[in-house]
Amino acid sequence: MEMFSYLLATGITTGALYALVALGIVVVYKATGVVNFAHGEMFMLGGFMAFTFHVMFGWPYLASLVLAVIGAFVLGIVVDRVAFRPLMQRQSLVSVLLAMVGLSFVLKGVARWLWGGKGDFLTFPPLVSPEPILFGGIMIMSQQLVVVGAAVAVMLVFVLFFRLTRAGRFMQATADNPKAAKLVGLRTDRVYMYTFAVGAAVAGAAAVLMAPLTMLYPDIGFALFIKAFAAAVLGGLTSITGAIVGGLLIGIIEQLSAGYIDTGLQEVAAFIVIMVVMVFLPTGLFGQRAGRRV
Amino acid sequence: MLGHLVGRRAFCLAVFAFLFVIPFGANQYFLFVANLMILFIILSLGLNLLIGFAGQLAFANASMYGIGAYGTGLLMKHFALPYWFSAPAGTLIAMSVGTLLALPALRLSGIYLALTTLAFAQFTLWLMMHWTPVTFGAGGFVPPPIDFGSLPVSGGQAIYFISWVVCVLLFFVAKHTMESPIGRAFVAIRDREIAAQSLGIDLLKYKALAFAMSGFFAGAAGALYAGVLGFVGPESFDLLQMVMHKAAVVLGGMGSIAGSVIGGVLIVVLQEGVKEIAFPIEIVFGGLLLLFMLFQPTGVVVLLKRWLPGWQEPLHYAPRRVRRAATQPAPAAAQAGED
Amino acid sequence: MQSVLQVIGASVAFGGVHALDDISIDFKPGKITGIIGPNGAGKTTLLNVICGMTPATSGEVLLNGTRLTGMKPSRIAGLGLRRTFQASQLFAGMTVLENMMVGLHLMSSSGLAGAVFRTTKMRTEEAEMRRRAMEALDYVGFAHFADRPGSALSFGQQRIVEIARTLIYEPKVVLLDEPAVGLSVNRVAELDALLRRIRDERGITLIMIEHVIRLVMGVSDWIVVLGSGRKIAEGLPDTVRADQRVVEAYLGHQQHA
Repeated sequence: MEMFSYLLATGITTGALYALVALGIVVVYKATGVVNFAHGEMFMLGGFMAFTFHVMFGWPYLASLVLAVIGAFVLGIVVDRVAFRPLMQRQSLVSVLLAMVGLSFVLKGVARWLWGGKGDFLTFPPLVSPEPILFGGIMIMSQQLVVVGAAVAVMLVFVLFFRLTRAGRFMQATADNPKAAKLVGLRTDRVYMYTFAVGAAVAGAAAVLMAPLTMLYPDIGFALFIKAFAAAVLGGLTSITGAIVGGLLIGIIEQLSAGYIDTGLQEVAAFIVIMVVMVFLPTGLFGQRAGRRV
Repeated sequence: MLGHLVGRRAFCLAVFAFLFVIPFGANQYFLFVANLMILFIILSLGLNLLIGFAGQLAFANASMYGIGAYGTGLLMKHFALPYWFSAPAGTLIAMSVGTLLALPALRLSGIYLALTTLAFAQFTLWLMMHWTPVTFGAGGFVPPPIDFGSLPVSGGQAIYFISWVVCVLLFFVAKHTMESPIGRAFVAIRDREIAAQSLGIDLLKYKALAFAMSGFFAGAAGALYAGVLGFVGPESFDLLQMVMHKAAVVLGGMGSIAGSVIGGVLIVVLQEGVKEIAFPIEIVFGGLLLLFMLFQPTGVVVLLKRWLPGWQEPLHYAPRRVRRAATQPAPAAAQAGED
Repeated sequence: MQSVLQVIGASVAFGGVHALDDISIDFKPGKITGIIGPNGAGKTTLLNVICGMTPATSGEVLLNGTRLTGMKPSRIAGLGLRRTFQASQLFAGMTVLENMMVGLHLMSSSGLAGAVFRTTKMRTEEAEMRRRAMEALDYVGFAHFADRPGSALSFGQQRIVEIARTLIYEPKVVLLDEPAVGLSVNRVAELDALLRRIRDERGITLIMIEHVIRLVMGVSDWIVVLGSGRKIAEGLPDTVRADQRVVEAYLGHQQHA
């Protein structure tokens, strides 16, 4: 029971972070119809930025978090203007995808060049004391609580942003019906750009939250992208709720399979989920079925 | 005028002739690099058939390459089978696995297919690294040396000539396939899958064929690689390798056979160049892919067509168009029209 | 007379909504049948069911007695059924001539081995396919476009080539989905003449969805009217035109919209 609860707690923590990254994927996909292959690198660079601010410059954690998120947001805007938007306008889907793969490698290479080579891992000091709390027989790390709490807070902000604020509703509208949005005068280009940037910012936030729990390294972007994609796909690529549920599920599945079957499975659980879901249930748990027009 | 002399057939034959004479003067390192060029031509031809001509965006080519290498090497190591048996066997194993990927390709397209095949590729890589009793784990293994009998050439030269012959044969296989109804079926599926069906083209058959062929080409390259390098390890078949394959296809020209020849050679040249400058390889190849897709997605081949008027390039490169993907992996029928 | 194509009790339902509701139609051989009806009536769904792209939830489709329901679209095409679509379906990555040759795809039997080894059989078939494709382009007056890329033609021209492509392998039945959409008045008249020629010279059965009433009433031998997934009326063009139910279907739909 103790091991189970430990695994569950860890799974929920990592799952919450996967959910955040998955949200970014889903939101951009809903708006543009494309899965941004370089999304993982938004995450990675957000984390590296936070590392630079907090560890290298010595600024306080909260300030570093905020700055890293802003940094990720700006990065999202730059990537959209320089690469994503021109590609979407000129090329077919295949080309956009391949180009974003290229971009992800460029960003990864730059990170490696600036911050360290293949073997280097950056460590982040823990936020709170690493002692576990005993919660009626269940062992939880206070660190995990903080992370989950923060992740939930970010998710709430995210969802509320789309439901309540004008900007958020514009983005939602443009994603649902771009032609109508254009007709009522929304500048769809701008909206896409901000959608993209918000997705990047959320990913950056996730990285900063994850940083104290684990190490940062340039390849973490891709590793997380795949897991977040698995989460998004499990939840149904068009559903925000799905991304959250999917993220949590992936986190839990990873921990349980690693704990009870084989530790190696932790890396590979996400891949198996992707393959199984795509073959047997492509719309995921919450996704809409393809619109059948009469 | 130069164009009339440098038709694409002449160009490709010139490349092959050049590659043929290399062993007669080159040192061991140069021979190795040239051999890699040959392998990359094969890889790029196979991948182009799948992505460029048939339009199936799959990310598993590096895995097929790896399965070919591992299949060959492991058959030699575990069962002491000779190379002349293991290499074809390894190739066929890669081909079979590749063909299986055609099944999801029937239901999925675009990003879904790309990421599913990518997940598969990562899974395969994981197997190579973790299934230690069989694959010898992350450290790789050294297959037993190939016995070439009493030939008057060195081992390195022998495997080079074998690679060369395989490459030329596969070049003609690819070329002739594309110049036949099968080639047209591929392009039809790429451009308008629904219309292709309505003219009697069986999607499963042709997609399976495209996957099988690219699996075969990559597997053959892998089988040769095991012989060329003398070592098989998982780090040769990761995502970076996949990006290099894609870069070779894109650089040369998607949907162009001659383009694959050019792309294969160029990528190896670049790889060596990058080593010399010590510039991060990821930035170079990633950047190439990005820049070409932004500014010259049809590849070098189209530039050649512009500069050398005699360069007759059959019209098969993927056309530019802006398309918004379906919201879900919908079956083709739902998009067939309104009312 | 014996029907060449029969739709028997076909229904297509998605979660409670009936795109098609118990449709039965007998299509007369060698005639042009026009299918009309307001938007959302299920016309394209009907074509999709016939050619195998949308599965019918119940009911059957028979082509000369062979059951089409449940077959793959490519196999149905192999039995002699062709169809055109609303959006242009020319392959942009090929020349116009190659586009036409794809129409003859089912003629090739030499397979991969033939292709790779360039056997005599394969080369003979290629030459024959090329010849027939040129002939077909000539028939519609587009021989000079043979080596242009598929995407270089205007919309109206692409339409014509597409229709020629569906006819090139002597189909028994051709389904046309709004062939006149986006065409100028002159082109519509050309289309009218072309359709009559096809019917008279080749004896092919044509089934056509169309909104351009002038065209469909003028050229069809028989009209079927669909509304809300059901068959509302059928008959000769003049009979249908006067039918009160048909008028109501069009007007009524506007009121409810």
